[in-house]
Amino acid sequence: MLRTEDAMAFTRRAMVKTLGLGGAALVAARRDAWAGLVEGAAASPPVRPLLLHNNENPLGPGPAALDALRAALGQGESAGRYVFRNLDELHQTIAGKFGIKPENVVTGCGSTQILREAVQLFTSPTRPLVAGELTYEECAGYAELIGTPVRAIPLDRSLNLDLDAMAEAAKGAGVVFLNNPNNPTAMLHPAAAVTAFIERVGKSSPETTILLDEAYHDYVTDTAHKTQIPVAVQNPRVIVARTFSKAYGMAGMRLGYGIGHPDTIKKLDAWEGAAALNVASIVVAIASLKDQPRLDAERDRNTQVRQFTIDWFKKAGFASTNSQTNFLFVNIGRPAKEFRDACRAQGVLVARDFPPFEKTHVRISMGTMDEMKRAVEVFGKVLGVKAKAA
Amino acid sequence: MPLSRRSFLNVVSPLRTGPLPVSLMAARGREADFALGGSPPDATGDGAEIRIDSNENPLGPGPAALEAFVRSFPDAGRYPTNARPSVADLREAIARRQSVRPENVALGSGSWEILASAVRIYTSSSRHLVTASPSFESPERVAEQLGTPVKRVPVDKDGRLDLDKMAQAARWAGLVFFCNPNNPTSTVHSAKAVAEFVARVRRESPETAILIDEAYHDYVTDPGYATALGLALEHPNVFVARTLSKAYGMAGLRVGYAIGQPRTIEAFNRWAITFNQNSLTVAAAVASLGDPAHIDAERARNTEVRQFTTRFFEGLGYRVLPSQTNFVFVEIGRPSKEFKEACAKHKVMVGREFPPLEKTYARVSLGTLDEMKRANHVFTEVLGKRTGGGGASALAQK
Repeated sequence: MLRTEDAMAFTRRAMVKTLGLGGAALVAARRDAWAGLVEGAAASPPVRPLLLHNNENPLGPGPAALDALRAALGQGESAGRYVFRNLDELHQTIAGKFGIKPENVVTGCGSTQILREAVQLFTSPTRPLVAGELTYEECAGYAELIGTPVRAIPLDRSLNLDLDAMAEAAKGAGVVFLNNPNNPTAMLHPAAAVTAFIERVGKSSPETTILLDEAYHDYVTDTAHKTQIPVAVQNPRVIVARTFSKAYGMAGMRLGYGIGHPDTIKKLDAWEGAAALNVASIVVAIASLKDQPRLDAERDRNTQVRQFTIDWFKKAGFASTNSQTNFLFVNIGRPAKEFRDACRAQGVLVARDFPPFEKTHVRISMGTMDEMKRAVEVFGKVLGVKAKAA
Repeated sequence: MPLSRRSFLNVVSPLRTGPLPVSLMAARGREADFALGGSPPDATGDGAEIRIDSNENPLGPGPAALEAFVRSFPDAGRYPTNARPSVADLREAIARRQSVRPENVALGSGSWEILASAVRIYTSSSRHLVTASPSFESPERVAEQLGTPVKRVPVDKDGRLDLDKMAQAARWAGLVFFCNPNNPTSTVHSAKAVAEFVARVRRESPETAILIDEAYHDYVTDPGYATALGLALEHPNVFVARTLSKAYGMAGLRVGYAIGQPRTIEAFNRWAITFNQNSLTVAAAVASLGDPAHIDAERARNTEVRQFTTRFFEGLGYRVLPSQTNFVFVEIGRPSKEFKEACAKHKVMVGREFPPLEKTYARVSLGTLDEMKRANHVFTEVLGKRTGGGGASALAQK
């Protein structure tokens, strides 16, 4: 009965209310140790700034995921059990979604764990990592930690990853990391270019592993894009990393996965296995994977907000890259730090510096439409945009 | 009206109609293999398995923790740095609970991550790992992956770590793994013995790091025992690992931590998986740490079940090592694999093999008192009374 109610009339307010049902009874029962915490949560907390700095999904997972979570944790028991028994269902569900096999799937504590496992296993002090100079830094960070040299390839003039130069640098490399779409530049390489890149590296450096991070895949609207999952399951030298942190709204629940050839997957899994996986995250991920309408709605919602924000900046005279993600990379023509500090003072958080573009560009994540309408007012004030321009 | 587990169940789980479907997984790593070996799904659906194979807390997290976990669902889309409470709040809550500073605390996705990082940070092909045999295998498994040599020091005739021999083996070692109480033998060393061991290793091999794993700390009742947190704060490269997987009942939610000097802690933070904390778990952990009465109750509950189970096995004539944990290590006088498989047929799942004692000893985790009463019927049927008792045990012969 409650399931139907939840599904029919689901709002964030209603959800929080539902979650809080136990609050009063619990407080009455145990006023001592933790009553303060519950009461504190019920009182209105200090206003949170707009969080437009970490490429999160402002809505989080959907109601079906919450139902699944509550059902799973009901007796408290499953939260107290190691995850061995839940993994198979997760791997089967992921495999089912892509028409592949469970042995093509490895899961991790966010796709970050998959990325670092790949760097750990396929690079060495003599087999470097190749990455764009401006891309998601997890791989380069881990490479430094384990003493793997990094070949950082500057972006081309249009701020795209320089695939020619990266393919050239891949000769003799352990791993070449390709984030597509790329964070923080937000742009995409079309499927044809990625396919050509994979073929070229495969020929010129057959021992090099190509690590494709498709974290923002679900936000792409450009029809020239295609996932490389079908290639990865065939080619032991290609791995696709995915995450539940973005369109699935689970950044806080830490779950990502890698897809590849069974031999490659076996190696990745043997390194750290599932020891870092959370049972509740698995439950939420399975429910979310089965809720395709929610994912489609999230993509549409993001596309609308993205267009609104790009248009606003364009009217104000600032160019954004062609974003295929849930964030923009905008040329504001002034240091990101200045802009960031000024926005923070007015309750809006935008991303950190991204050298070598920190003097001109800023990365802004997409909130809800309502949040972006409030945010652009602040941006307008900070950038000195006249009201009519906006 | 007092809060019973049942009423809480109504709060968080109005939808639950039965156990989640349990599906067997393909072989996924050694630990999982062990966990699943001989564990058929409950095909009939009536009478759930009694899962006393992985040293889990049969009750799961306390109501405060679960409430906080589900309540923070609206923050599921926020990285743990942005969630409320945030990962910084959890560090502070742990620091407050342990009377240390936040810079003395490194968080892990379970203490497994702390153990793995320790081996990666402190050992190499020329600086070996010292561990006991048997002990928790996570560190030696990581060492094997890295090509780090491992010196395994057999436990003594009472199943206790042989600290004298471990100290000898520690010369020129990168890391000593000291599990106290020890899994799977369940025995504990006194605060005095730990302090003397640390002092000796610091003196004889000052470059060697010492990892004291206190996963079962909250279950210890021996008054001679004390945490080694003080030693960790006092010495560089000495650190303590803790987990919320045991008494806190959060094995599925993945929180562990290390406590040590800030320099040591910085190294752990550098090696940590990026965003290794779950935002909802952070809220649950903060709530748990603010509810020490729940842990006291859990310790008392476990102590009663431990005593009951120990007496049961002793009544059948089997030696039980003096347990300070939520499991018992029983000399069943036959291969643990046989025992495990026979029990599994009756839906009682006990621990896997622990070489080099797998031919004579079995590890049985403690469920609820009710579960243990039911399990004991199966044990009686499978083991029967020990015959021709009084013979020398496998440990005594060493």
